[in-house]
Amino acid sequence: MSLRDDFQPKWKLLLKWGWLSFAVFILMAPTFYTVYISFNELGFGAKYYNFTFQWYENVFSDKQLIGALGWTMLLAIITLPIVIPFGLLSAKLYKQSTHKVWIVFILLSPLFVPADILASALLVFFKNLNKFFTLIGEYTGIYSLDTWFDLGIMTAVIGLIVYTLPYVFVVIMITMARYRNEQTEAARDLGASAWRAFWEIEFPQIRAGVFSACAFVVILTFNEYTRTSLLKGGFDTFTSVLISQMLNTGMSEESYAMASIVSLVAVVIVSAILIITAIKTEELEKKTRTIKEPNK
Amino acid sequence: MIIFFVLPLLLTVVWSVFERTMFWMEPAFTLFSYENFFFSSRLENFLSSMFHSSISVVCAFFIGFPIAIFIRRRVRKVAQHRVMLLFILPFMVSEIIRIFALRPILSRNGVVNSFLMDMNLIESPFSIFVFTPTGVIIGEIVSFLPFMIFSTFLALEAIPNYIFEVCADLGVNRRRMFKDMFLPLAAPGLFAGSVFIFVNGIGIALIPTILGGPGSVNAGLIATQAIIALDFPLAMAVSAIMMFTLMGLLYLGHRLFNLTKLLEPIS
Repeated sequence: MSLRDDFQPKWKLLLKWGWLSFAVFILMAPTFYTVYISFNELGFGAKYYNFTFQWYENVFSDKQLIGALGWTMLLAIITLPIVIPFGLLSAKLYKQSTHKVWIVFILLSPLFVPADILASALLVFFKNLNKFFTLIGEYTGIYSLDTWFDLGIMTAVIGLIVYTLPYVFVVIMITMARYRNEQTEAARDLGASAWRAFWEIEFPQIRAGVFSACAFVVILTFNEYTRTSLLKGGFDTFTSVLISQMLNTGMSEESYAMASIVSLVAVVIVSAILIITAIKTEELEKKTRTIKEPNK
Repeated sequence: MIIFFVLPLLLTVVWSVFERTMFWMEPAFTLFSYENFFFSSRLENFLSSMFHSSISVVCAFFIGFPIAIFIRRRVRKVAQHRVMLLFILPFMVSEIIRIFALRPILSRNGVVNSFLMDMNLIESPFSIFVFTPTGVIIGEIVSFLPFMIFSTFLALEAIPNYIFEVCADLGVNRRRMFKDMFLPLAAPGLFAGSVFIFVNGIGIALIPTILGGPGSVNAGLIATQAIIALDFPLAMAVSAIMMFTLMGLLYLGHRLFNLTKLLEPIS
């Protein structure tokens, strides 16, 4: 990444890059520190540092944790095929709609509503829905809906969909911004159905965004605590086990190792996406330059 | 989203006037929950969390706005988004882990105090970094700063390059450029970022729980504690107050700055 040609003295530019790097470092410092401690045999606050994988071995031999990992993965697997098509449809609707303000308002507001507030509202909403369906059951004799909104996987998934949809929407919107709608129009003019035009023309060009959105959903599901813990019912998720350990016994060395696993997986996936996207953009630019200026 | 997001939030207003029963609530019209909130120490806690969030907003502005301007002005166009994505990384790590990990970093025998003492800058360790309002403010900045940078950058991205060139050609000095160009043009982004930090600062229970110590309470914590105590109407009253605060701020922002402008660069 090169510095832009500027009339400013170089030291001032370097100072600004330094400030930016310092901000990124400070934001990531808690994560780095967690990882650092997780490899110390002597744990936090020790004078000496003995490298070990012991705490990771302990984590992976913990049956409760492995079970929680399975539940979290299940939540991600169920959330993914629901939220991604929703995100795609929302982004397409936004591009075509004349009432953009309302779409943005509805889709991005969950970002602004604090987790505890939304989770509390949803919890009471689900409890009321259950009572409502019980009442309907008493009048109609149909009792099959009574337990639909009992706290469990379905309510946790709904909470996760509301939480992750804004992120999916924004990520897909960013990739869709590069897509020129004239291509779809051309395909439709040539007789392609709306689905075929989308699947064969538009989707390959926004595929990177869709896959990135999938990765984001999985990561966010693994990191989410407040909404999931209030709406999940009886089972444990990865973060709920981690938090209960942290709050009940303080940060044990295993807690550091567990936190590091979640953080490192997230950082590696996002970094991989960033690097692949950067490489692909670079290739695309090279191609465009070659087409525009074939003699250079 | 209307059924599972808008509706539950709107219904908090209805549930907040219900009457509390032993384990649940029953339909009625009573303002007891609001009285319970406004005429008790909860209001004081709420106002104090608003004050701390405001400080976090100001700090995030001074840290984040120069970064957003720098990325927009000095980084090559193709690299701008990549640099911005660096700030996505912290968002992808669980907020709880990041906040919890701040404890050992900021505690009396933590990394910051050890560093300051090793450098002979202080003689005894500071104890104001955790379990104090300062800890809450630090936690809010570390948690929410990226959003201030994103939203401000999005607003700045909509400014065409020729405007910078015209300013340079006319010899406009930095102070005037900042006051008359960057600040007004970035206003929608600054506003969105500020609302995000402010509302989450008063609504996320986790930060005061982990970094604020026993006296540190915000709206999110009041709502969570009310649910644990099975006082659902009170929890809903707090949620309704938060929702109105948020809606009011977003409406004000939209009227003043047209917040949809933020999505123009990506739509």
